[in-house]
Amino acid sequence: MTEATPTPPASIPRVYDKGIRLLLPETTSIFEGTFSLLHCMVKGDTLYRAVYAQRLFPIRHPDQFISLHYTDIDDKDKEIGVIETLAQFPADQQILVKQSLRSQYYEQVIQRVIEISDEFGLLFLEVETQRGIESFVMPWRHDRAEDYGETGKVLLDAFDNRYVIPDISQLPPTDRSRFQKYIYW
Amino acid sequence: MVRAERLMVRVLVVLAVPDAMKLSHRGVSPTSIRPHTIPAGLESQAKALGITADNCLFCVPSDLALDGSIRDVWLVVTHTTVLTLSADATDGKPLSGPFEFTHIGKVRCFQTVGSAFLQVQVDNLYVNVVRYSNARRESFSRAAGQIERLVKHEPLQDDALTRKSDRTCDHCGLPLAGKESPCPRCSGHRGVFARSLGLMRPYGGAILLLLATMIAGVLLDLIPPQLTRVLVDKVITPKTNLHWLPMILLGLIIASGSRCLLNIVIGRTSSTVGTRITRELREMLQHKLMNLSVEYYNRHSVGSLMSRVLYDVDYFQSFVSQVAQGFLLNLMLVLGIGTVLFLMNWHLALLVLLPIPFVVIGTIFFWKHIYPRYYMFWESQSKMAQLLSGLLSGIRLVKSFGQEAREEKRFSGCAEHSRSSRRKLESGHATFNPIMGFVFGLGGLIVWYSGGNQVLGDKMTLGTLMAFFGYLGMFYAPISSLSMFSNWVTGFISSAQRVFEILDSSAVLPTATDQIHLPSIQGRIEFKNVVFGYDPYTPILKGISFTIEPGQFIGIVGKSGSGKTTLVNLLCRFYDTQRGTISIDGVDVRKVNPDDLRGQIGLVLQEPFLFRGSIAENIAYGRPGSPPLNIIDAAKAANAHDFISRRAGGYDAKLGEYGAGLSGGERQRVSIARALLCEPRILILDEATSSVDTESEQEIQRALSDLTKGRTTIAIAHRLSTLKNSDRILVLDEGRIAEQGTHEELMLINNGIYRKLVRIQTELTRLEM
Repeated sequence: MTEATPTPPASIPRVYDKGIRLLLPETTSIFEGTFSLLHCMVKGDTLYRAVYAQRLFPIRHPDQFISLHYTDIDDKDKEIGVIETLAQFPADQQILVKQSLRSQYYEQVIQRVIEISDEFGLLFLEVETQRGIESFVMPWRHDRAEDYGETGKVLLDAFDNRYVIPDISQLPPTDRSRFQKYIYW
Repeated sequence: MVRAERLMVRVLVVLAVPDAMKLSHRGVSPTSIRPHTIPAGLESQAKALGITADNCLFCVPSDLALDGSIRDVWLVVTHTTVLTLSADATDGKPLSGPFEFTHIGKVRCFQTVGSAFLQVQVDNLYVNVVRYSNARRESFSRAAGQIERLVKHEPLQDDALTRKSDRTCDHCGLPLAGKESPCPRCSGHRGVFARSLGLMRPYGGAILLLLATMIAGVLLDLIPPQLTRVLVDKVITPKTNLHWLPMILLGLIIASGSRCLLNIVIGRTSSTVGTRITRELREMLQHKLMNLSVEYYNRHSVGSLMSRVLYDVDYFQSFVSQVAQGFLLNLMLVLGIGTVLFLMNWHLALLVLLPIPFVVIGTIFFWKHIYPRYYMFWESQSKMAQLLSGLLSGIRLVKSFGQEAREEKRFSGCAEHSRSSRRKLESGHATFNPIMGFVFGLGGLIVWYSGGNQVLGDKMTLGTLMAFFGYLGMFYAPISSLSMFSNWVTGFISSAQRVFEILDSSAVLPTATDQIHLPSIQGRIEFKNVVFGYDPYTPILKGISFTIEPGQFIGIVGKSGSGKTTLVNLLCRFYDTQRGTISIDGVDVRKVNPDDLRGQIGLVLQEPFLFRGSIAENIAYGRPGSPPLNIIDAAKAANAHDFISRRAGGYDAKLGEYGAGLSGGERQRVSIARALLCEPRILILDEATSSVDTESEQEIQRALSDLTKGRTTIAIAHRLSTLKNSDRILVLDEGRIAEQGTHEELMLINNGIYRKLVRIQTELTRLEM
């Protein structure tokens, strides 16, 4: 969630007219309702309650292409539509959507790799994140350290907690070398 | 402090310190649900809200507040309400709730990226009660189940709350590879070398022979320099005893010839043992791979597993020769020759030892820095193999989209990664080896200087110095080899670890101790409240229950992802249920002998998989050695006989990879014949006709209509017309049975899912016409 958002082209021709429904500021109103839950009203449509937001491109476009969802009466998650650029919405609505996004994503951003060692097919890491020094254990496997965009890695610890390195080249050289000694793929 | 102790300390810290005060708690998964106890620090808040130890049913600690900040938060469940409290709440108010059970409709765990929420449904809206990190999923998954029971006025299950976690080791807290997997630390696995030596145990006789020949070889190696010393000091320098010359030469020839013979014995014996061990190891791996659960293959690529069986095992061949001819031999030479050097001239022998500390330091440095590069290199090779395998398998797709250049670029990147990792590895060797050579060379020069002075000062004879140099070469060579031994060891360890990782994998479905043999069955199937998800916290099947009587034809329909194939995977026991039971003829499938179970089930998949080999071999795959007539009968029954008999090779016609040489419909009919030859009592058709044309589909349907008679048949199909005559149709929706009945009954349901699907397909068919 830390990468810069490139400015989208002003108007991209749609491949299909009947593709996703874009939620535009002039037709969509987002506000806080019952139980402080996010509500969404789309002109000509119904009122959606207990709405939550999800990023469709969480790495490349974290503030664009935000999908709004709700749970229907049959407990099925349904999409209301997609906000192409959040910045086009009024400030108060942007805050609400961002709050909802914060509740949907929980990951630590690794700033330093202090120690890393292996034993029993597990990696024992001590890292510095935005919250301070943390240590965690992760299986030493490919599927637990996947690419994050073009230059980063996301590490999943033994309990699927997420630790992100947005850009490995930005780690201090010693930390990078320490990290790549084990996560070399 | 060793890592095991460090982890234990972390665990103790987690238990002792409130969550909000530390950040290292994510290393463990506490399932510390506290029944009938108010946590310390919450007493006054709880009291103010009328909650006491008497009416508090249980509390669950969380590590996050709703906004994602780290806080010491507790979910508190009483007889009538659920709420969230925090010890650091300044206003003393609950963070959320209290929610009265009478107002709650449903309870769910809502997974987001990296954390999750426990939510309750109030006024048809899901409201967040508590947020928790993924480390706490097990606790809250259990808590949600119990709250749901309370909402439905069902009694609390204390054991469900207090049960120990099956995701971490009870003993040391280490995370486990999978549910109930053995702890890698506590299961007592020996080190790689000890285990590798263990593989040599059956060849004890051969190993003893190797040791004896090695000792004899070392003794033989000591003879030539002594003979050389006598030759120089007693014959050449004084020019006397010339008649000794042929005898000394004969002695040198005998010593050299005997060494040659011993080398032949050592080489042949170690090769015999080495090749046998690698063959056995490959067989063990193959056996293990055949028995690993499907879940294991979801986590590992076929390319990487192939690489282990094919290439990593080869290292064990060299292990035997290294043990026999490398490490042990060199060690013996160093000890033997070192002793002789000291006996000859201890002053000079001490100087010989000068380079040794540098060699040791260099070897340690090398080990530390080169070891991970072996992984990197192996990884790059494996990645390249995977890419190439995918590329060649999908070559038609690449061509049809005109993406050859892109794929070339992708492969080029991979090849470059492989080149660079190999270069890094070899540059390490290229730097280390000459430096070691230089260090040894310096040792020789010191001996030349000191020994030369001693000879010039008549303190030592020239012959002794010559013999000393003869031994010196023999002393440094094995030391050099021993330092190079670290190169081999690093490669061997990384390969051996990958091999043992497969052998140690616990991804095998548990076998019941009281297994039941079912050589023949009626075919009654019962699913009772089955819950399952590939990710244990995200169920795909959510409490499925149904019964199929013997001989019934059951159709299963539903959208993609509704759980149709998962249901079949569970029946075949590719996976075990997380909750609930599946039984055949009243016996839990987990208790049925796996061979009996699979022998009773015939599976026909959407994409038939045929092996390279003849058509007959493919049909008889499940019953090797079946009489030709049975094979023909099965093919005839599957409507495959006609097209097979038209081929020049008939049933002996060879098929290429994946059945190349046959059309999609023909491949499918061969796979149906394969299933039928086993005479299964239960037939599963998973989209068996969805990837073939209409004509082929009709052929297959004709084949199936006779064959399914008298067999319990489960057919998954998107083309609903194929299920019209089913005894019953189950409509799956989001992991639940939404509707069930005959075609006619389901068509009567207003706004029914099945009815809607039929209408859509009818319209599509009309459009196609």
